[in-house]
Amino acid sequence: MRSRRLAIGAGKMLAVAAIVVWSLFPIGFIVLSSFKPGREIFAVPPELFFEPTFEHYASLWHRWPAFFDGLVNSLVITTGATALAVMASLLAGFAYSRYRGVRFLEGSVMFLIGSRLIPPIVVTLPLFPVVNRLGLNDTHLVLILLYATFFVSLGTLLMRTFIDQVPRELDEAAVLDGARPLTILVKIILPLVAPGMLAVAVFVVVFAWNEFLFAYIFTANHAKTAPLVLSEMISSIDGVDWGVLFAASTVQLLPVLVFVVLMNRFLVAGLTAGATKG
Amino acid sequence: MPLHMTRRALLTTAMAAGATGALGRLAHAQVKTLNVLCHRVHQANLTTGAAGNVIKPWEDKNDAQISWTTLDSNPLQDRLFREASLSETDFNVGYVIDNRMTSQIASLFEPLDDLRKAEPIEDFDDIAEGLRQSMTVGGKLVGVPVRHATQGLFYNEELLQEAGISAPPNTLEELVEQAKKLTFTSRSGTPVVGMILASDLAVFPVMFARAFGGDFIDKQFKVVPDPEAMEKGLSVLADLFKAGALPRSYATTRNDDMVTWMQQGRAAFAVLPFARYAQLNNKEQSTAPGKIKAIEFPGSKTLSSGHEMHPVVESWAMAIPANSTDKKLSWSYIRFVASKAATLDMARNGNGPVRTSTYAEPSFAGSLPQAKVEAAALAKARPAFPAFPEAARAQSTFLEEVQLAVLGRKSPKEAVAAIVDRVKPLMPA
Repeated sequence: MRSRRLAIGAGKMLAVAAIVVWSLFPIGFIVLSSFKPGREIFAVPPELFFEPTFEHYASLWHRWPAFFDGLVNSLVITTGATALAVMASLLAGFAYSRYRGVRFLEGSVMFLIGSRLIPPIVVTLPLFPVVNRLGLNDTHLVLILLYATFFVSLGTLLMRTFIDQVPRELDEAAVLDGARPLTILVKIILPLVAPGMLAVAVFVVVFAWNEFLFAYIFTANHAKTAPLVLSEMISSIDGVDWGVLFAASTVQLLPVLVFVVLMNRFLVAGLTAGATKG
Repeated sequence: MPLHMTRRALLTTAMAAGATGALGRLAHAQVKTLNVLCHRVHQANLTTGAAGNVIKPWEDKNDAQISWTTLDSNPLQDRLFREASLSETDFNVGYVIDNRMTSQIASLFEPLDDLRKAEPIEDFDDIAEGLRQSMTVGGKLVGVPVRHATQGLFYNEELLQEAGISAPPNTLEELVEQAKKLTFTSRSGTPVVGMILASDLAVFPVMFARAFGGDFIDKQFKVVPDPEAMEKGLSVLADLFKAGALPRSYATTRNDDMVTWMQQGRAAFAVLPFARYAQLNNKEQSTAPGKIKAIEFPGSKTLSSGHEMHPVVESWAMAIPANSTDKKLSWSYIRFVASKAATLDMARNGNGPVRTSTYAEPSFAGSLPQAKVEAAALAKARPAFPAFPEAARAQSTFLEEVQLAVLGRKSPKEAVAAIVDRVKPLMPA
């Protein structure tokens, strides 16, 4: 019996180890390769021990200034989209949680879920001439609006679940003291659902930081994001400088990785929100 | 110390500051902006390299600034065609690949004949004929060629020597023989394949068919005009794969793998554009810098004397979206970039020059070891297939059948018959 339990435990450990290696290998390969001399990156047999070099990072800095402009644009757009999506989700989540029974609201929940089912490419191309006509092409604003819009539905559902967990008695006590809905939201509910807002923020940050399709369709120069510049490095004309590409990928990966690690517990809270609700 | 200022002095200072600001804005407004949508390589060839900033004199003369928007090839074409289909676009000049210029796409761009008549391009006939033809649609010139990538045969001289081969092949049969001999483990312990070819581009099987005088789709849109030649070409590829002289991973091999394998000494031969010479020999990336050389892709010894091997060329041209503004300025830019002097300077900055005269310039030919070979190949080169609306589907259908033949799942004869059957309905009426 004991040996069977040991075998099952070992099997589980092996399975976890395999999944971890499977998931981390590409990231590890990219990060390590960014410090390898160019000719050793794809050497056969692979060079496991090498003298680290920063030459690819230096090349990235000198040859691809557009990448760093792209990072700044990504930062502006991600910050804007996250703030907008979190605010809109909070307000909508509050309405859905506290004003149940309103016919229009009940019906619109289906619309929220439905909007998540539409593939982005379906709305992207018809939107191009409209965005162009509005003069929003190649602006930060268009991506902020699109990213926020794309995530408000999920964010709203998450926030509703978080707000549902705040006892209504607190609202009722505040109403007795003369508080209006906005005061209740800001002074009572917001501090209690801050972890939920952070969970929504994590989802939006990860999406907005890495998004390619909308950025590719709606930007050209001024609002070009880092993933677009990365795609340009995989050039079909003059080839790929893999070392520089891996260095850029590492730089692109780092901020979001740090952010997700720091916010990990909120992310888990977001994923399991409402899971134990009766 | 307190600052004393009279009301009059304050007013005068404010007016002077306002006037200075307004003048500054006026001066700024006079500088015109030309929005160019291109690949990063096009921008780099015009602005950086041995010849320096080539476009600066044009900017100074026209009091204009260029605003570059760069994307990789396919996204660039998508963006350009999307912009050109709007009621108006900010992009004044766009760079187009030759095999995209179908009659529908051509209608989105300004016909250039009248502009050319009014202000001619210097010695226009000096630009390679095949490239000019690919930009002439329905008898109208819609683009001015600016860059070409002609395919050549690259070989690793070090590996050839190691295998006791003294000279690169003169015929396709010699190439096959050498590729098989070069499928070995090199002295450094690296397993070497005789040849590496990407399986996702029509260029390579087309080169092998042309080595026997065949083709995929000819200028008259005839599919596989010589089936026997195509069968021979596919048989050679299948034979190389069977002998292990093409990588086992042939079906998933991409263009970038070819460069990497050549740089790592893992392949002895590859078919790549001559323009890749510098990258293949880059001492920071290559294990054999200076040892990777290029020749023209050899034809079969059975190729009759009246026929010659036509290597595949892909070219880029500059075009003016019909819905853009300030076409005069756009044409002025195109004329300047297409001039002999700018073509030479861009070539010195790494561009594949479209003028045959550029290859004869000592300042260029002396710096490029393969200049003579490349010039000879360019003179005979033709696109892999002509532009037509269903070209992408035709190419993927063709490649599907080619892969089946190379991997031995179909006989070359069956594959060629299937190519004809499946691609014919996609041809323009």
